[in-house]
Amino acid sequence: MRVLVTGGSSLLGRTVADQLVARGDEVICFQRRPSGSTAIDHLGDITDADAVRRAASSQDAIIHLAALVAPKARWRDMAAINIDGTAHVLTAARDCARLVHISSPSVAFRNSAATGENAEAADYAGPDGYTRSKAIAERLVLDTPAVPTVVIRPHLVWGPGDTQLIGRIVSRARAGRLVLPDHGRALVDTTYVDDAAAAIVAALDSCTPGSDSVGHAWVVTGADPRPLRDLISSILEAAAVEDTPRSIPAPLASLLGSIIERTWPGSEPPLTHFAARQLSVAHWFDQRETQRVLQWSPSIGLDEGFRRLAAWFAANK
Amino acid sequence: MHLRRHNNPDTPTAADWNRWGIDPTWHRMVKVPSGASTVSWSILDTGGSGTAGTIVCVHGNPTWGYIWRDLLCELGDRWRVIAVDQTGMGWSERAGKRLLVQRIDELVAFCAQEVSGPLVLAAHDWGGPVAMGAAAQLDVRAVVLTNTAVAKPEGVRVPPLIALARSAINLTCERTSLFVKGTARMTDRQHRNALEAPYRTAARRSAVADFVADIPVRAGDPSYETLKTVTESFGALEGRGIPVLLLWGGRDPVFHDRFLADLLARAPHADVHRFGDAAHLIALDEPIGPIVGRWLDQQFTSDQVQVPAASMLIADSFTPITTAIIHRRHETTSAYVGPDGTRTWQQLHDNALRIAHRLVTAGVQPGDRIAMLVPPGAQLLEAAFGAWLAGAVIVVADSALGPTGLRHAFRSAEVNYLLGTPRTILAAKALRFAPDASALSLGRLLGAINLHSDQSVHTPVELPTLTNESLAAVVHTSGATGTAKPVRYTHGALAAQRDVVRTAFELDDQHGFVSSFAPFILLGPALGVPCVLPEGDILSPAELDFDTFAEACRRSGADVAWLSPASARTIVRTANGRRMPLRLVMLAGAPIPAQLAEQIREVTAADVRAPYGMTELMPLTDGRGAAAQLPVGTSTGRPLPGATVVITPFGRPDAAALPAGEWGEILANASWMRAGYDRRWGTDSDSTIKRDSLRFHRSGDVGLLDHQGNLIQLGRSQHVITTASGPLPCVVIEQPLADLFGRGVAAVGIGPSGAQVIAVVLEAAGDLRLADIVLTTRVRAGTETAVAAVLEGPLPVDIRHQSKVRRDLLAIEATKLLEGR
Repeated sequence: MRVLVTGGSSLLGRTVADQLVARGDEVICFQRRPSGSTAIDHLGDITDADAVRRAASSQDAIIHLAALVAPKARWRDMAAINIDGTAHVLTAARDCARLVHISSPSVAFRNSAATGENAEAADYAGPDGYTRSKAIAERLVLDTPAVPTVVIRPHLVWGPGDTQLIGRIVSRARAGRLVLPDHGRALVDTTYVDDAAAAIVAALDSCTPGSDSVGHAWVVTGADPRPLRDLISSILEAAAVEDTPRSIPAPLASLLGSIIERTWPGSEPPLTHFAARQLSVAHWFDQRETQRVLQWSPSIGLDEGFRRLAAWFAANK
Repeated sequence: MHLRRHNNPDTPTAADWNRWGIDPTWHRMVKVPSGASTVSWSILDTGGSGTAGTIVCVHGNPTWGYIWRDLLCELGDRWRVIAVDQTGMGWSERAGKRLLVQRIDELVAFCAQEVSGPLVLAAHDWGGPVAMGAAAQLDVRAVVLTNTAVAKPEGVRVPPLIALARSAINLTCERTSLFVKGTARMTDRQHRNALEAPYRTAARRSAVADFVADIPVRAGDPSYETLKTVTESFGALEGRGIPVLLLWGGRDPVFHDRFLADLLARAPHADVHRFGDAAHLIALDEPIGPIVGRWLDQQFTSDQVQVPAASMLIADSFTPITTAIIHRRHETTSAYVGPDGTRTWQQLHDNALRIAHRLVTAGVQPGDRIAMLVPPGAQLLEAAFGAWLAGAVIVVADSALGPTGLRHAFRSAEVNYLLGTPRTILAAKALRFAPDASALSLGRLLGAINLHSDQSVHTPVELPTLTNESLAAVVHTSGATGTAKPVRYTHGALAAQRDVVRTAFELDDQHGFVSSFAPFILLGPALGVPCVLPEGDILSPAELDFDTFAEACRRSGADVAWLSPASARTIVRTANGRRMPLRLVMLAGAPIPAQLAEQIREVTAADVRAPYGMTELMPLTDGRGAAAQLPVGTSTGRPLPGATVVITPFGRPDAAALPAGEWGEILANASWMRAGYDRRWGTDSDSTIKRDSLRFHRSGDVGLLDHQGNLIQLGRSQHVITTASGPLPCVVIEQPLADLFGRGVAAVGIGPSGAQVIAVVLEAAGDLRLADIVLTTRVRAGTETAVAAVLEGPLPVDIRHQSKVRRDLLAIEATKLLEGR
């Protein structure tokens, strides 16, 4: 299969591209910088409709991962990349046979605990720009499908080389600035990057007309939720950082988040109100239907993932 | 919750239906013939997919078809379910006043026009008379009624709420929405908007007032004669072979239990499920859908054959449990020794007989129900055996249920008499346990104790003959989990229980047994074996120490002891190396830790058994091998001769039995099994499984049969954790960790059934909290099962069963903790 992967320079995008190449697919990665994957790079900007169409021409499928994740970006940029970019992909996909759109479980976040839920409606309309734009993009994809489309919402993806989640946690812990809301007791699902990538590949394979997966959003997790504290401990242990994060009451964390995100000078505030809220309440999912429909289940898992993470930290000291 | 939502207050919008949990496509208007004209009815109709037949549901006043939501949603697959709004009610046309006879005619016309194939009528409140009036004119296959009436029972006044509404009909029903709102307030808040919506304006409420005005109270009222035909029509159902299911809310201030009694008197063949906690709007308050579905399935599909409790029929050699005390009536050795005194066989017999005679003289009929308000001891033995000799049914409830639980228990059982001491009777009256029952004081029944001059013992009074089938007792389960369930026992079952206990545990007539478990003393006179209650507070078995226990054994010459786990623990703790040799010790209340069985064996040098059983079927196994330490689960020995145990896949008691070594639900059958649950049709059908032409009791426990035939108990079904990769009994996780850490451990499921993850809680003082990361890592390493979270904190324990951890409560706490905030 000839597959276009947008956003190939992210950890997840790169891993998806590598898995596809490894099994013999012809893969092009579309993004502004070289992806560092084993696939062929086709550099370009997702906000450029023509560039997207050119990259997608004569492809069998598109996996759309490109997104702006920066927590404090301007809404204009969010909308241009996450919504308009997705619209460009939708247009380009008319000449392909399949589309796998990567969304986020937070598009259904309702400011309350999610325990054993399925993929709920992408109706987030709160203040977080990233999540709002991703919710609009997902609805766009599912409401006006150009070709058979599957939406995957990978939940908190992490792995060796991850700058998003792991990188921030470790650097903050090293600086002694890591805090946990309410001792980090909320039960949280996460996904090791290879498992998330395998789920996306499985979604691509399932994305044929009439398949159960088509036309729906599927949350993908490692199906092994743990308290946030346990996850942080495992990450810090893998990074060989000696730090016991302090606990602050969850409402205080949210309050701090709102203050910091409003006053932080740079584009990456250490805590946002949204992130604090999300990390203060449980969010884990019932994966039975996802696993059945995608005919996929995590093969690496959290514990092996943490071992690989430790090995990576040891090698990249 | 105001009108503003409706542009047109006469019709709900699709958004309204969705908000009320009703599929908008079910709603339509139909023209129904009414006299010479037609009237437009609003109906909710699940449509033609129902293959089994059509259920037409008739609401009462002042409600509408919404109240049948559960039936519409639950049964719509197999049945076509139609909930009608009567003329002038709900969303139907406001077409002027209707008398009962007109309402009946309209319902008949509706059914004739809309329904083909088998018809079932369901009705509530004043929909009952309408539906039962119509039943006389229709080919009805079954009837389901909820809190209703077809006649005013003798001696019952017009329900006070109705009387109030009538006395100021215009004010309560029409000009103000008092009646509508009052009714809507009898159920959960979520239903209020839907219940009140059709009755927002006075004009829309006129039928509510008319309905109340039409309730016939005295001869000459317009519908008085019609109601008489309704009463007759209902009474004719049994003769017509039409089955009836009565679903009853026990706390309905309008249609209370006397109306239930009236309906049962007119339709003795009816099945009853009484919800002790539910009120008037039972169809909304309780999940009646599945019960009605199962009941209808049974009426329409099953072979209707009564299945005997056991293949081993005992009718031929039936010896009632009252026989032994009659045999030994001349003996002056002790039949009972306890803190409240002793009784010789002669005294026990004479007192029981005297009570029996006086009960009969007081008017007690065979089958009458007598609430036992007698503290355990000699008086309980005399009262129970006296009641049995008189042919009465004893109703027993553990005082640990508390006043509310006891009131539910005795009201639900509809006891005819209260039998107790002046103190307990006074309390029962004050707490209104059974307002209609007559009180009998034990002291007065026995009179002055002067046995040999008392003529009443010797004056012949006709005592009834007990049969195998005679109902003997209604025993309420301890209610440790959920509400207490009333279990019916026949005399046949009690006799079989006596026989199996005698044989299995080799009890003989001379040596007695000591019991720290007060109710077990009833077995003594039944077996003809002396029984002993040790000194001290009978209701606090945990206080029974070694000295008291040993003294009780020595004084009575008992060679058998029946101990609760709590008293066994105390005896072991206070023995200090001393011994009290016995032949046999039975530990009741499985699962018994093997370690405790071993410790009791050291103290008594006895054969220690932990037979397994439950209120519904006791005992089930021989309890051998109680001290054998298993890696997981508790061995309860082999099923007793005459008992059959089947293991079925979890949640599928109808599926094929599992082979030895595989765990699942424990189903059991024996001739000493319960007859059924009293007025709990739903509970009964849910826990009575017909297999291989035998009736099995679904124990609510899980376990397995090992390759030697031993039944290994693995805890309660409700403690099974249902993970995405399958169900798992909690003990599988708990036991190895408890051994490893030497601490109390409980494992609970977090999240929705079927997708649960596991939290392990290690017992510790203080608030429930995450365990530290070192301990968490050790626990994860110590079990093969994926553990989501490791917590530390106190394990909530049921105060009545000190060994039983309330995992249901713990699961709620752990879920809350792990949800964050």
